[in-house]
Amino acid sequence: MISFWQKRFKSSILTEDLEIDKELETIKKELKNKISKKFAGSLAIRMVDSGSCNACEAECNALANPYYNLERLGIYFVASPRHADVMLLSGVMTLNMLPHAKDAYEQMSSPKWVISLGDCTSSKCPIKNSFAIAGGIDELFPITHHIQGCPPEPKDIIMGILEFLRKI
Amino acid sequence: MRLIARFAKDRGSHFELITVYDKKTDSETIDKSNPIAKSIAKRFPTAIWFERKIYDDFGLKMEDSFDKRPLLHHERFPHDIHPMCKNFTQKRLELEEFVPYKYERIDGDGTFEVAVGPIHAGIIEPGHFQFSQAGEDMLHLEVRHFYTYRGIEKSLEGLSLEEAKPIVERISGNESVAYQIALFDIHMQALHKEVPLSVQKYNALLLELERVIHHLTDLGFIPNDAGFAPALAICSKLSEDARRWMKKLTNSRFGFGSITFDETTIEMDSFLLYLDELQKEIDWFEDWIIDVPSLWDRFDTTGRLSIRKTIKYGTVGVVARASGRVLDRRLNHFYIDHGFVMAGANSGDVSARFLVRIDEIKNSILMMKNFIDNKKEEIKSDKLYDGEYNSYVESSLGEVFMHIELKDKKIERFFVRDPSFINWQALHVMMDGDIIADFPLINKSCDLSYAGSDL
Repeated sequence: MISFWQKRFKSSILTEDLEIDKELETIKKELKNKISKKFAGSLAIRMVDSGSCNACEAECNALANPYYNLERLGIYFVASPRHADVMLLSGVMTLNMLPHAKDAYEQMSSPKWVISLGDCTSSKCPIKNSFAIAGGIDELFPITHHIQGCPPEPKDIIMGILEFLRKI
Repeated sequence: MRLIARFAKDRGSHFELITVYDKKTDSETIDKSNPIAKSIAKRFPTAIWFERKIYDDFGLKMEDSFDKRPLLHHERFPHDIHPMCKNFTQKRLELEEFVPYKYERIDGDGTFEVAVGPIHAGIIEPGHFQFSQAGEDMLHLEVRHFYTYRGIEKSLEGLSLEEAKPIVERISGNESVAYQIALFDIHMQALHKEVPLSVQKYNALLLELERVIHHLTDLGFIPNDAGFAPALAICSKLSEDARRWMKKLTNSRFGFGSITFDETTIEMDSFLLYLDELQKEIDWFEDWIIDVPSLWDRFDTTGRLSIRKTIKYGTVGVVARASGRVLDRRLNHFYIDHGFVMAGANSGDVSARFLVRIDEIKNSILMMKNFIDNKKEEIKSDKLYDGEYNSYVESSLGEVFMHIELKDKKIERFFVRDPSFINWQALHVMMDGDIIADFPLINKSCDLSYAGSDL
């Protein structure tokens, strides 16, 4: 383990504040302020995949890596819809997932919001006219905010959450 | 013989039932007025899902099958429809009344069931696992998926290969490059053209980069599922670096839209520097993680798949190679000339699959250095010939098999068999003798795709 700690000290803090650009630094500050004001310090998100290709999930997982380290801003992905303020829906809404996604939404306590993630949840979805798709997500769920991209990059997801916080 | 796939086609007056093995392909004609065929599930256990899918898709029954439950059509999916038949043209369906699904279960004194999913605790795709338990010990596991069943096969029918591409590359985000190469390969076959060497090298480079990204992700998540988080911190950094390189090379972090007919140039020098850096990191990682005994205590002998079972179930990819099977679609002259050495292990447990992934990353780094070329030439599109074409690609998860039939230059039938479709069916035999807390570890060590097998 000693080699691990040696490496750990050498590599110092990787979290980007942010290599990407200056703009994000201000965004992160703003994000932190909004979350502490509107959600008493922590925004709990329940991710539900209703028919995505796993790219959106991979990007949400990437939010936890040392570069983005989302949790330090007070945003958490939680294990149960009962702990969540926001449901993050990704992918087309398949017939097989519709009853389960509805269930998950009903399990959330109010006030609650739904954010749709990725182009599959919008009219830009490449799969059109499939019998196995229940319909547009916006017809089936009350969507507060949409984050576009195929898939949206981790940076886009952080900005999307900020835009959502500005909206509510 | 290894079963690769079993699927059907609607030929108007009759059904054609095609069974693809590694050494031969069988084709049977089935009368539509009496749509019954013989099951091969007793000899090839993984035929069960194929046959249940064929019934849901076409209404073609296997008379001697021991499992006739629906596979794709869940409790509230419209009953008694067979969407892959050519006369099915509905675009919108409504949910119907609930018809319960009969799960496999083991009854007895003190046994109980644990249902997990379809929505899991982490950020992953939906799927259901039904465990029969005796205390902590797993007696049986039934894997039930197809929650992300999007009807991809049907929605590709009638499209040209170019129109199909954006959908094919989004079948499974984990294997986008592999799926694109399979489609590209079929496109080239239909043009009656050979793939030029520079294009082969460029495609193989991206495929290896995709493999590195996913193996690195797994190397982080497998220890994390055993409660060892530092490995995740290190590997998620490495996989993020690799993903950023994918973006630099292809303009997409997942390689969407990367396998094309266009001319492309690569900036070689900085990429080579990155590969050297990655080599150092992975050497350090291996050296470090080998010395964490509490981790290997969890890995060793957990989730064992014997060579006998590997052959019986016809598993593919890392799951096969870690159990001692010599099976890799990259075993050919082109890859061997560029430094391919097949990784392998014999113990078939989580540790074997973990170590095979490390070896494959190292080999992929070496191959990428040999594949790198500063230019990829353009391919001129030409006359497209109708016909039936097959393609095989070794993705990071295992062998992808794709079949496309072209008629009037449009897709008449699209079929793809994701490696996970086979490996999911072998998952339950790995649980023997392990406790339920080991399940996430075993599942992650196999790295299985939900979206790819659900279609």
